[in-house]
Amino acid sequence: MSYFRITLHRSAIGLPERTRGVLAALGLRKRSQTVFHPVHPQFAGMIMKVKELVRVEEVDRPLSKKEVKAERTPEPGFYVERPAEGGRVGL
Amino acid sequence: MSRSLLRSVLELRTPVSRLSPTPLLPIRARLMHQTSQIIEPSPVAPESIINNTAVKQPPQQTSTSTTPPPSNPVHQQPSPLSPASLDPSIGTLLPLLAAQPAHYITIHIHGRPYLVTAGDQLRLPFKMPGVVPGDVLRLNRASTLGSRDFTLRGAPYVDERLFECRAVVLGTEAEPMRVMIKKKRRCRRKRHVFSKHKYTVLRISEVKVAKLGEMEV
Repeated sequence: MSYFRITLHRSAIGLPERTRGVLAALGLRKRSQTVFHPVHPQFAGMIMKVKELVRVEEVDRPLSKKEVKAERTPEPGFYVERPAEGGRVGL
Repeated sequence: MSRSLLRSVLELRTPVSRLSPTPLLPIRARLMHQTSQIIEPSPVAPESIINNTAVKQPPQQTSTSTTPPPSNPVHQQPSPLSPASLDPSIGTLLPLLAAQPAHYITIHIHGRPYLVTAGDQLRLPFKMPGVVPGDVLRLNRASTLGSRDFTLRGAPYVDERLFECRAVVLGTEAEPMRVMIKKKRRCRRKRHVFSKHKYTVLRISEVKVAKLGEMEV
């Protein structure tokens, strides 16, 4: 089963109440928020209503909020190779 | 437009023609090298940059007689361990890079680049949680690694087996106290808001280019 990955790309400020209602029904509140919905005509129709505002991909499984955040976060780029000799004082 | 172009071409040409045969030469040559390396794009087409591989720039040939060519590949060893994931040019050019000491490296910490060399003191723009003074950090994300004549560029990162970069945590520094005055209109009351940020200071203790034969796998 595949899913739509829908990201709100443009804000709905100044748009008709009906359009904003569609976004609310999709669960999108603010820009660059991402939601997942199963591929189903019902959701395809909702996406068509707001196609100018969202970016859509088809994915295999829905990601959790944590996983979506991890995609955006850059790698730390370091790790503690050898801790200090005096122990963890002053931490 | 054409005049400015012509002028820029002339300006580009002049340093070459004005090259003096005196001991100034190496300095001039180094300057030219640095500038030209920054400006010039890589001669290799971007299609050849596969992810996690890198492109080497050959030494610039602007002033052939002045700089000695990079020392002959004495260090060139058979590289049996070189994995297939690396670009083939690395096998030939990495020993040349390793043979030129004084390497610089652009490390990425939390996605931000810092261009450093060994011995540098680096004040991060944040306080790193979970480390104490004396900790040795291994920095394993770098986008460029280079010496005077060679640059290894990652796409986007250099393979972490190709270098070793370590840093020692020296401690934290604090900035001077900031005072911000908050004031509302038509009201005499002023509120002072203080803030004082702390920053972690690192010392880059080691920048080493790996030899292909003894690469960690």
